[in-house]
Amino acid sequence: MSETVKVLGISGSPRRHGNTETLLDAVLEGAREAGGDVEKVVLRQLDFTSCRGCNACHRTGVCVISDDLTAVLEKITAVDVLVLASPIYSMGITAEAKGLIDRAQYFWARKFILKNLYFTDEHIRHHKGIFVSTAGLGWENVFDAAFPALTAFFNTTGFEYWDNVIANDMDRYGGVGGHPTALAEAREKGRSVVVLIRKMQIAEEPGA
Amino acid sequence: MTIDVLAFATSPRRHGNSEILLDWVLAAMEEQGAAVEKIVVAEADIRPCRGCNVCETLNRCVQRDYMDYLHDRIIAADCIILASPIYCMGLCAQAKALVDRAQVFRSRKYVLHLPIVPPERKGKRVGIFLSTAGQNWDYVFDAAIPSVKCLFHVVDIRNTDIRYLMVNGVDEKGAIERHPTAKADAAALAREVVRHLREVGVA
Repeated sequence: MSETVKVLGISGSPRRHGNTETLLDAVLEGAREAGGDVEKVVLRQLDFTSCRGCNACHRTGVCVISDDLTAVLEKITAVDVLVLASPIYSMGITAEAKGLIDRAQYFWARKFILKNLYFTDEHIRHHKGIFVSTAGLGWENVFDAAFPALTAFFNTTGFEYWDNVIANDMDRYGGVGGHPTALAEAREKGRSVVVLIRKMQIAEEPGA
Repeated sequence: MTIDVLAFATSPRRHGNSEILLDWVLAAMEEQGAAVEKIVVAEADIRPCRGCNVCETLNRCVQRDYMDYLHDRIIAADCIILASPIYCMGLCAQAKALVDRAQVFRSRKYVLHLPIVPPERKGKRVGIFLSTAGQNWDYVFDAAIPSVKCLFHVVDIRNTDIRYLMVNGVDEKGAIERHPTAKADAAALAREVVRHLREVGVA
């Protein structure tokens, strides 16, 4: 038997239980219903600083900063599904979410400079990344500038950028609860990613 | 009247490429008679936006930190410069925190419908985005620009009054010193902006 599918949800919103965290919770609920082993981290509860740009990790592969993010970043390498949630502030992810992503620089250094970290295609296929976001504005392009940072983050940490769970126009809907489909779709997405990974695990078990 | 320039060096790395680029622009502006103030954002007490939306009713931020001072400086300045390196395809987190704290201006402008600058100063402000990136990709700055535009728009700087100088392919500290045109481009940009602000009657 393979282990259960491990799911880590990270909330990058400074506001507790707002639209984005509620949407993240729906994804995580769906994942739990499908048998996933789910954990949620709320960045605003943590004490951390962002990347200092010192580039020490380019030589050592280790971040010089030791704070609450240290364990979170290591946890990321041990899960099958990584769900990063951030509302859109000023056309991008929050400073907290960007702070987390920038701190992942040491993975990048290990991959591309020290070359002592390598994710096989199979590893990437088995590790799915999901971006959860909400935006007050109804513009179609309101998430566009957030995607490249998420792409970089999932690439660096060995996850396939599997899907987005995003909902705009929150100001008009009066919050995610007023959105006709967002929460149900989020829950379904959480369910299906766990089912998908479980299927891949079973298919590759000896004797399958 | 002297042209008032407020510049944000947001990189966590002191005297790295984006700050060098900024220093070139500021030196050329000072040569032209402008008064410049440089804020080192990573060393200032600027906390991230809490997303509480209280500024939508209070017309000010609930947080008391260095933004109290910067709020007034942002309104007073004729030219605002944001200098940020590109980290993971976006502004560095320190720059993003600053941009997000401009939410108080967005609330003032779009929710409370109050003025940011007096009418006679509208169209007489310039924003400059200076950026450097290690990657050589030509699209490496694309995802940072919408957030930069947000910042400038909410403080009454129009699209046509935003200037960009973005240098890619400079990674290790000081690499920009060896760039063939960056220093000259920075000086030319500074001269053009000072000339423009004089033409519109700022000083």
